[in-house]
Amino acid sequence: MTKHNDKSADTSAAESSPGAAEPSVFTQTQTSQVDESGVTAVYIHVPFCLHRCGYCDFTLVANQDDLIPDYLAALKNELESTAADHAFHGPQSMDTIFIGGGTPTHLSPSHLTELFSLLQRYFHLTDGGEFSVEANPDGLDDDRIRVLKDFGVNRLSLGVQSFDDDCLRLLERRHSAAEAIETIQRCSDEFDNLSADLIYAVPGQSLRSWTTTLKSAISLPLSHISTYGLTYEQGTPFYRRANSGELRRQTDETERQQYLTGIGLLKGAGFEHYEVSNFAKNGFRCRHNQTYWQGRSYFAAGPGAARYLNGRRSTNCRSVARWIRSWSDNSPCIQESEDLNAEEKAREFMMLALRMIDGLNIEAFERRFGVSVRTLAGEAIQRHIAGGLLEYHGKNLRLTAEGLLLADSVVVDFL
Amino acid sequence: MDSKFIRNFSIIAHIDHGKSTLADQLLLKSGTITEREFREQILDDLDIERSRGITVKARSVTINYKLNGQNYELNLIDTPGHVDFHYEVNRSLAACEGALLVVDAFQGVQAQTVANAYAAINVNLEIIPVVNKIDLPVIRVDEVLEEVENVLGLDASDALRVSAKTGMNIETVFEAIIKRIPPPAGNPNAPLKALVFDSKYDNYRGVVTYIRIVDGSVKPGDKIKFMRAGISSDVLEVGQFRPEMRACGGLGTGQVGYLLTGIKDLSLVTVGDTVTMAVGGTDQPLPGYLKPKQMVFCGMYPIDATGFETLREELQKLSMNDSSFSFVPETSDALGFGFRCGFLGLLHMEIVQQRLEGEQDMDLIQTAPNVTYEILTRDGQVRTIDNPQDVPDAGVIEEFREPIAHVSFIVPSENVGTIMQLCQDRRGIFKNTEFLGPQRAQIHYELPLSEIVYDMYDKLKSVTRGYGTMDYEVIGFLAADLVKMDILVKGVRVDALSTIVHRSTAERRGRSLVKRLKNEISKHQFEIAIQAAIGSRVIARETISALRKNVTSKCYGGDITRKRKLLQKQKEGKKRMKQFGEVEIPQKAFLTVLESNREDG
Ligand SMILES: Nc1nc2c(ncn2[C@@H]2O[C@H](COP(=O)(O)OP(=O)(O)O)[C@@H](O)[C@H]2O)c(=O)[nH]1
Ligand code: SF4
Repeated sequence: MTKHNDKSADTSAAESSPGAAEPSVFTQTQTSQVDESGVTAVYIHVPFCLHRCGYCDFTLVANQDDLIPDYLAALKNELESTAADHAFHGPQSMDTIFIGGGTPTHLSPSHLTELFSLLQRYFHLTDGGEFSVEANPDGLDDDRIRVLKDFGVNRLSLGVQSFDDDCLRLLERRHSAAEAIETIQRCSDEFDNLSADLIYAVPGQSLRSWTTTLKSAISLPLSHISTYGLTYEQGTPFYRRANSGELRRQTDETERQQYLTGIGLLKGAGFEHYEVSNFAKNGFRCRHNQTYWQGRSYFAAGPGAARYLNGRRSTNCRSVARWIRSWSDNSPCIQESEDLNAEEKAREFMMLALRMIDGLNIEAFERRFGVSVRTLAGEAIQRHIAGGLLEYHGKNLRLTAEGLLLADSVVVDFL
Repeated sequence: MDSKFIRNFSIIAHIDHGKSTLADQLLLKSGTITEREFREQILDDLDIERSRGITVKARSVTINYKLNGQNYELNLIDTPGHVDFHYEVNRSLAACEGALLVVDAFQGVQAQTVANAYAAINVNLEIIPVVNKIDLPVIRVDEVLEEVENVLGLDASDALRVSAKTGMNIETVFEAIIKRIPPPAGNPNAPLKALVFDSKYDNYRGVVTYIRIVDGSVKPGDKIKFMRAGISSDVLEVGQFRPEMRACGGLGTGQVGYLLTGIKDLSLVTVGDTVTMAVGGTDQPLPGYLKPKQMVFCGMYPIDATGFETLREELQKLSMNDSSFSFVPETSDALGFGFRCGFLGLLHMEIVQQRLEGEQDMDLIQTAPNVTYEILTRDGQVRTIDNPQDVPDAGVIEEFREPIAHVSFIVPSENVGTIMQLCQDRRGIFKNTEFLGPQRAQIHYELPLSEIVYDMYDKLKSVTRGYGTMDYEVIGFLAADLVKMDILVKGVRVDALSTIVHRSTAERRGRSLVKRLKNEISKHQFEIAIQAAIGSRVIARETISALRKNVTSKCYGGDITRKRKLLQKQKEGKKRMKQFGEVEIPQKAFLTVLESNREDG
């Protein structure tokens, strides 16, 4: 991106730098060792769903399928501009491509074809690369699966959320447990790399129901599972309903139990727990997400999509209508952008690394950022080790089992 | 322009019945705004971030429209749609000859439809009923028109039927405005007489005065006088809103527009004032307005004592643009130096708070809102109490008085019983019920204002599943058995959380409040007791257990910024908390006294 739409972008880095008082820690030469030249990941946001689930605050519109052609046209313009800004000569090689939403597979087969054909002009997947698409069990018919296969998609991430019909109804999902199972089975014929998202801490969900959901997931041909605790995001109906008392939030204690139960059952079934919310069979960790968590660069396009390029994080405008309007006129539509300075990069890296189960590799960190972890967060580390929330494991600093449950309280002290 | 071809009108409606959409549609159809600007409004509705769309500041727009070959100048003067803003509604209506009364084709007449229609009837406006949203699949136009006739006593036989959204029948609106609303009556040859119906402060141009010319005319270079304020000034610029400010050579009788003068101080330009010529002007000002009384108060404190001056400046700026908002310095043991701020009502308070937050990153604590009380002391003095901390010792009080409001509800017939029960529980005095048809009824009650401020609106909405509406007006003060309730957090009394309650509801309120505080104060590494007490008697208690889980497991995809910001907010949040003993209390907790959350009923 060559444009800064956000006027705060230029100043924010300097002002919000948590350690601006001690800039001497970082020198130019040290930071220049960080190589951000080869971008090998791209995220495309497809903002359409059949219906907006009551808890969902993602960037999307429901019941606005008439905007799909405008969206595709706008996307083309955004990609064209990305290609120009970054001097693409033909399709760029990508290790990972991730198409998320919304529900990308809400698009009709012909619109999907149009989308993929468009992407092919700008990106192509390297051999052995990972090409993920998010999908919902409802409406994922054979025609759509065929299109995905034809264009080389090799990983599907399904928004299953639960195998309990009561939970599904409460979450306003448009599929039943039986349909989810049928879809997973059907998809597994075509995809070995099949992931499902599950949600716990749903109002009214008992530990038993959650256990059943986990067991069903384990019994199915899934290679990856993400478990998310239900959150109540401002602006969503769930937020209002929870505040008005109509929905009962689960207690901390229940949420803790459910989270721990998930970890226990999934590990017992041969899934590695590799990040706070993510579990994978051997060799099936999501490579695209690891790009995010390892502080590497990525392209992005679509409303609300976030990119990280040349040390600048920027997020597209989250209003679908505004993004479309803007790009149909060929003007960028940025919600916010910020240039990370050396220290912010390092601190952000620690925050992301600590959320991974293996934790933060001290040597690799110091090689990359040229500063010691101790200098940046010595006091916090000592305090949390003393409190039993952090520990050293070989060359890594990582959360303890209890620390994982209080991860936010810990990582906040690294920022 | 000959005033024969001018029409001045407002649009009045219950909230969400389509006033803004209709206004936009009129601007679109007349070419005042472009299709693109119009779509922008509509399109943004799709997004989750759609704002509340409450017009607070009255605004005005001049529209040109051609009918049967004749050019007309139509001035739309916007009015706010909420109960808190009667005053603004009235002052806008005074600048018009007619009003479009917009009624939702399904929802029909609602409480604010009635309140606004009466306001317009009172100033003798020509009222054109407009049934809106006829594009909806389920509508009941005939019943709605019957309501308009029965409840408001208006002739609905030539009511318009439109869709502001799709633009259907919008031409009929223009035609009705031109044919049914009378042109302004003033005398072009008389000395200038103009009504100030609004004003605002503009950083570049100073005070912008919104005027409606009643008699005579005004042009740049004239020396004018604000009669009530008694100040004179040269007119630097005269113009109209199209919708942006556009200068013109002058404004004649009946026209609506703005004046720029050398005046920089907004408080000198009072709404309702009359503008005339400094020399040879009229000596008969237009009837003025009674300034509305502030009925709801709350404290605002900077988290950090160094923020006091900044806060003062910000409040000053806000009050410059909103004459119905006031503030005075006060102190609290718990919160230090701050200000007691006065508002017309709850919504007004919320809007001012949002502006304060929006305009700069102030770290603020807002205390629970309360109404104004009166205390008659043993020695015969009457004291006004805007702050629970000012309540004197019980021994000194002869009589504790609270403001009483007349409330009218419009609700589905099947909810009448429940609403009456709610009012009864809140110490209401029943006045009467009228059935508006087989399905709806209008109920009149006298209720303590504090009860309305506390939770009446939320309750009404939940009981009637959103179909019920209400409107209120303060009518006086009455003696009641009131007490001050204190809150203790881990043994420490937090004075900013004290409230004045009726003795009969103290226990219920206390229980509900400590419960809500429990939800607002985040867990610490240790247990925390929260208690409500009257004097030394504890009437309710809750306990916050120690922290057990704090990890966000949500999918943010690549939006690392958002994730980091959430954590940073947590970190900032810590800084913004006030320490009471060992316990950190977040700002928001001070507002919880407000949210009743239905736990208590
Ligand atoms: N279907 C339909 N919806 C409408 C119409 N006019 C307004 N609305 C919708 O009703 C809601 C409230 O309209 P708005 O103009 O903001 O109401 P206000 O509060 O009276 O200004 C918005 O969601 C509008 O899109 C109409 O003619 N038909
Ligand atoms: S399907 Fe997924 S993205 Fe779409 S609304 Fe539901 S939760 Fe949100």
